Amino acid sequence: MDGSSVNSGANFAVGFGHWLQNQPFALSIAGSDWAYPFVQATHFTGLSLFVGTNIAVDLSLIGIGKKSAAPFQISEMLLVWNWIGFAVAVTGGFLLFSVSAETYLTNMAFLTKLGLLIPLALVLHIVIQRKAPEWETAPETPSVAKIAGCAELLLWLCVATAAVLIPYVG
Amino acid sequence: MLLHLCRWLQENSFIAVINGTSWSAAALEIVHYFSMFIMVGSMLIVDLRVLGVIGRRQDATQLADRLFPWMWYSLALNFLSGFLMFAGSATSYYGNDVFYDKMAVTLLAVIANIIVQQKVRTWDKLPAMPVWAKAVAFASICLWVGAIIAGVEVPALTGVG
Repeated sequence: MDGSSVNSGANFAVGFGHWLQNQPFALSIAGSDWAYPFVQATHFTGLSLFVGTNIAVDLSLIGIGKKSAAPFQISEMLLVWNWIGFAVAVTGGFLLFSVSAETYLTNMAFLTKLGLLIPLALVLHIVIQRKAPEWETAPETPSVAKIAGCAELLLWLCVATAAVLIPYVG
Repeated sequence: MLLHLCRWLQENSFIAVINGTSWSAAALEIVHYFSMFIMVGSMLIVDLRVLGVIGRRQDATQLADRLFPWMWYSLALNFLSGFLMFAGSATSYYGNDVFYDKMAVTLLAVIANIIVQQKVRTWDKLPAMPVWAKAVAFASICLWVGAIIAGVEVPALTGVG
């Protein structure tokens, strides 16, 4: 890509951010004393459910935790609530983003989080979710399952790191 | 007396250093958030199971045995990182009503967890989850959400943190 198309891409992103943060819903969140913290709390509650259910499956794949005699299919029972948590986290996250979209779109930590780390973590997450029933019922957890579980845990930790760094780099 | 203790904490050289450089302050935040997700997440899973909206085919005792150790490990990390952040600006948290509310709600939430952990084995042997078990589980969910709201209100309302 040459310099001018990079620039026009960045201009487009900034233009979009400017448009989004001037939408009535974004302005009303930004202008209210109580709305912003409640949106933040929604994002964190969704994340607790999403990350909590993810880590429970990952740790069980890695084989840390109490062993039970019967194969324990934790991934299947958590599936629905895992995606409910995801939906809540995305909704809250989008609203937080929309309040100052222009700033977020020029923040390297945010761009890394959303453009690289979350897509990677999500792809691995979906692969694990599809494979987990098979891995969990195997007499011996295959080593690929342990590596995948460990990688997913670390990836979500990287996502949280990038998120915390947003105000530090901006 | 308490204010004196806060000032002493804040002036402690270790506390000042760990809150003073941006990378260590960011590391504290990362640990605090991530351990919060694991702690609240694993508790919500057990609460939802007690309420009967999740995995009714698995027994609650087995699920609780799996998740409670992680809840306690992450609570320890959460408390430690939270305490270090508190200590860094202890005098600003002293007299901060919203922060006291956060601590009170969190304490109640932990108490609800302890009740669930102590009782889940008994409840599980009954033909159906008793109403008061569901009430405790529901209260636990509300208290954790309340703790998160109080947590974000501390900087939002008081500008501290």
